[in-house]
Amino acid sequence: MMLDFYRRNEAIILGTLSLASIGVVWQFVVDAGIVNPFFISTPSEVFAEASIQLESGKLYKNIAASMYSFVLALGLATIVGIFLGVLAGWFRDVESILEPFIWFKYSAPTIAFYPLFVAWLGYGTPTIVAIAFLFALTPIYANTLSGIKNVDRDLVRAARSFGARPLDVFLQVALPGSVPIIVAGLRLGVGRALTGVVVAELFGASAGLGYSIAYHAQLLETSKMMVSIVVIVLLGVVLTQLLTWLEKKTDSWRVH
Amino acid sequence: MTQIEIRDLRVEYKTPKSDEAFVAIDNISLDIEQGEFITIVGASGCGKSTLLLTIAGLVNVTSGSVTINNNTVNGPGRDRAVVFQDASLLPWRSVLGNVKFGLEMQRWKDDDIGERAKRFIKMVGLEKFTDYHPHQLSGGMRQRVNIARALAVDPDVLLMDEPFGALDAQTREVMGDELMNIWERDRKTALFVTHDIDEAIFLADRVIVMGRDPGRIKEVMKIDMERPRNAAMFESDEFAKYRRRLRDHLEEDMASMHLVTEVA
Ligand SMILES: Nc1ncnc2c1ncn2[C@@H]1O[C@H](COP(=O)(O)OP(=O)(O)OP(=O)(O)O)[C@@H](O)[C@H]1O
Ligand SMILES: [Mg+2]
Repeated sequence: MMLDFYRRNEAIILGTLSLASIGVVWQFVVDAGIVNPFFISTPSEVFAEASIQLESGKLYKNIAASMYSFVLALGLATIVGIFLGVLAGWFRDVESILEPFIWFKYSAPTIAFYPLFVAWLGYGTPTIVAIAFLFALTPIYANTLSGIKNVDRDLVRAARSFGARPLDVFLQVALPGSVPIIVAGLRLGVGRALTGVVVAELFGASAGLGYSIAYHAQLLETSKMMVSIVVIVLLGVVLTQLLTWLEKKTDSWRVH
Repeated sequence: MTQIEIRDLRVEYKTPKSDEAFVAIDNISLDIEQGEFITIVGASGCGKSTLLLTIAGLVNVTSGSVTINNNTVNGPGRDRAVVFQDASLLPWRSVLGNVKFGLEMQRWKDDDIGERAKRFIKMVGLEKFTDYHPHQLSGGMRQRVNIARALAVDPDVLLMDEPFGALDAQTREVMGDELMNIWERDRKTALFVTHDIDEAIFLADRVIVMGRDPGRIKEVMKIDMERPRNAAMFESDEFAKYRRRLRDHLEEDMASMHLVTEVA
């Protein structure tokens, strides 16, 4: 029975164990005096600091600020990315028009535009959202485009044989066939939006997890900084897992 | 009554390299009676699929004409349904959803669609699998759905392009038998492409033998065996005679094909 349980949850159990062992090693190298706690703090101190920040409401405030930017950026990137991806996938001309921008985005680091956004939108949430939006846009757009564009020709022919009109082909064949790859694009977008929020907050913000990291780093308060880092990692893992789960669900009809 | 009239049909495909178009079929003329079961055989590349897809309205006529019930074909229509070789089922739809698909595309009344689809799923013996998805079905079962989808829209003409091509010999025979049983009920006009000689004879009122370079009709062979057909007929002398004649025709073509490859 125990063995059965283990087999079914092997990935989760092993993953948890390896994470826990990092915590143990982390604590150990500091306690044993191998590494100065100034550089990496310790799990127990980070935990204690997290409890304090939780009670004071500071942690909540930072999470809320980051999540606000994150949701806004990802939401916008989803709408714009899917909209443009669908258009470009369906109409060749639109793809050609958008192609240079995508090339541009692939080859130039988005963060280089940060000062421009500051000039336009000022320091704070609008700039953070704009940067995170740009971070998340590319994979959502690219996946939607390739999903729609690579629609199964045989299925289109079958649909046409029953008198399907172009809109039918789009709504009943191209779009449903692209759902799994679009969701995969969203999963990538989630990670990139989160990165975008944190990076932009590092540069200029008045709240948020990235801001908290930059702030405490300047004051050399490693444990306080570590709290935000750990929370970001956890958020990233949970959100990505959520999308992975959604991806599996929408993907169930594919032959594996 | 003549249902399908094909007159001097020529179909060309654009070729990617040269400006010259490739002639897939040429000079095809044929009258098909209502309720006739026509099978089409011929070497690979002789234009069997092209002929079928042109009748389906999925490939454009270059010159000549195809007329069905006195209407010239210039696109797909409700009077025809196609059974494709590779099933072409929507993988995200269930068996029921797939059989409903054709009806939805043809804008049948919503109330009728579900019941009608179920009736045809039952006809092909898949009522236990109504909610299954294509990837959960065997190749033979998928072809049954493919056939049910085509029959459900109640076409005047059923166009089948090697529907059993991907199946093993045994499943193939069973499916051919079932197709005959279903067809006997309302005897719709049917065109059936195959490369299996026995299958071609067993199903057909007439076998069309096509040749290549360019694709054309070489012979039309009438099969005078009574219906309903049964498996015992495979052993009859009559069947053996038809089989021999068809073999001769096809081997001629194979021989010329070898020649081409050797020269090339
Ligand atoms: N879409 C297309 N574009 C260009 N050429 C084509 C196209 N479809 C078919 N052809 C060519 O037309 C010829 C006839 O093809 P077709 O598919 O009708 O043959 P077939 O008799 O069905 O062969 P098979 O038995 O292998 O299915 C072939 O030489 C093929 O290369
Ligand atoms: Mg073919």
